[in-house]
Amino acid sequence: MRSGAASQGLEPAPARAGNDGPRATTVRIASLQKTYGDLEAIREMSFDVGDGEFLSVLGPSGCGKSTLLMMIAGLIAPTAGEIRVKDTKVAGPRRDVGVVFQSPVLLPWRTVLQNVLLPIELMRLPQPQYESRAMELLRMAKIDEFTALLPRQLSGGMRQRVAICRALVHDPSILLMDEPFSALDAITRDEMGVELLRIWQANRKTVIFVTHSIREAAFLSDRVLVMGRRPATIIDDLAIDLPRPRHIAMTEDEAFNRLVRHLRKAIEASHAG
Amino acid sequence: MPDKVGRHTAKLVWPILVTALLLVGWELAVRMLGIRSIILPPPSAVFEVMVLRYDLLLTHLWPSLYLTVLGFLLSVVGGVFVAVLITYSAIVREGFYPVIVVSQVIPKISIAPLFIVWFGTGTMSSLLLAFLVAFFPMTINAAMGFESIDEEIHRMARTFMGSRWQIFWKIRMPNALPYIFGGMKISITLAIIGVIVSEFVASQEGIGYLIKLAGGLLDTPLMMAAIAALSISGLALYAIIASAESWAVYWQPPSDAVGAGGG
Repeated sequence: MRSGAASQGLEPAPARAGNDGPRATTVRIASLQKTYGDLEAIREMSFDVGDGEFLSVLGPSGCGKSTLLMMIAGLIAPTAGEIRVKDTKVAGPRRDVGVVFQSPVLLPWRTVLQNVLLPIELMRLPQPQYESRAMELLRMAKIDEFTALLPRQLSGGMRQRVAICRALVHDPSILLMDEPFSALDAITRDEMGVELLRIWQANRKTVIFVTHSIREAAFLSDRVLVMGRRPATIIDDLAIDLPRPRHIAMTEDEAFNRLVRHLRKAIEASHAG
Repeated sequence: MPDKVGRHTAKLVWPILVTALLLVGWELAVRMLGIRSIILPPPSAVFEVMVLRYDLLLTHLWPSLYLTVLGFLLSVVGGVFVAVLITYSAIVREGFYPVIVVSQVIPKISIAPLFIVWFGTGTMSSLLLAFLVAFFPMTINAAMGFESIDEEIHRMARTFMGSRWQIFWKIRMPNALPYIFGGMKISITLAIIGVIVSEFVASQEGIGYLIKLAGGLLDTPLMMAAIAALSISGLALYAIIASAESWAVYWQPPSDAVGAGGG
């Protein structure tokens, strides 16, 4: 199942330390800036993401967090500063990155399995080898019964599961997620969070998860970065020390709510200032 | 596809009933009001001509259909090709495309006599006129199809390192298919018009020639038989394209357009 990463000549990701052992840095953002003409979208941003870490970037809508993610994905060039993934500068889309977008963006003429295999085709990787991996992922996402269906025959939550499988099929070491559950209803959303953690726990990717939901960020992450309004900077960096695996019931706990309150205060403080 | 056929037949019941009712009304009106056949023959007389003189009708129908289909196919190939150029070449898109769109104002049928001057009274004029009238809707529809891909889909394909070539074949092309078929449905009916008009102007064969000839002889039943044969052929061509569409564009829920714009 891990054949993909090895075939790309990348360093095999060391298995994540049991608890909080020191992590190697996978993504390093240094003095990043982005301006569109006169509009300053991101001002001076620096942070590291550890290997296998689940990091959420939390901020209000339109604060530039999607821009940040698209820069890490290599789709947008920064105005100043740099992004390094595994010690190489990001200059364009990369093989070791998988992206999940706000909407599933599935191709309507492809079946579920064909959609999941699209990155394999585009990257010209050996098809049959990855087909079993695709099936494995679909099984993990509990949609393996629907591999032959077309996207229009699926519900919104199922479509986003397909998009997650597609982002993971080429076995990237970094998964970028741009508010992937924001179009779903609250119940499906909670469910998808739990599912995502299950898949993440089995695959051990470094995840950068952009969201505007405080609860979602606190529930999913190892660490949450809070972004202020435009021009965006990081106004808080909070470790989430809740035990894993996480369950929805934990969101009732005082420990969880204390974290949520802390994050909310940080965001409100940025509004006031 | 038997269930599909069944569904289509069910939908066709009412239109067929209405058509039958109209024909019966027409027949009765002509008989009771004593209208002369030269003005308006009853449907039965038209049908009779179609049966008795079927070889004459077929002799003239074939060349017209042949030119229609050939002109149509040329317009599909040419239209898709030019649409690709419009999509990928800034010069074509910004220089030629507006000219193509504005030139739509010219009623192309009015060029028919000019074509006769240039290319003679033979099949070439008919073919070129069919191609010309069918070409524009093909081009514009295909170009719209290639252009209409979601910015998000494009971005997704780029993150997975798709090349321009891959994005064209795996994404733009299938995405454009519904538009291309929409253009084909318009083009096939226009190609028929192109051929018929060209045959009206100057030709020694073809169903357009036969209609004009019958008109000159005041043989109204023959004229209407020729029109009926032409309409049935047009409908058949349209149906072929529509069923090719439902096969090729399998991912779209079936549309309700039963024979819209046909004939």
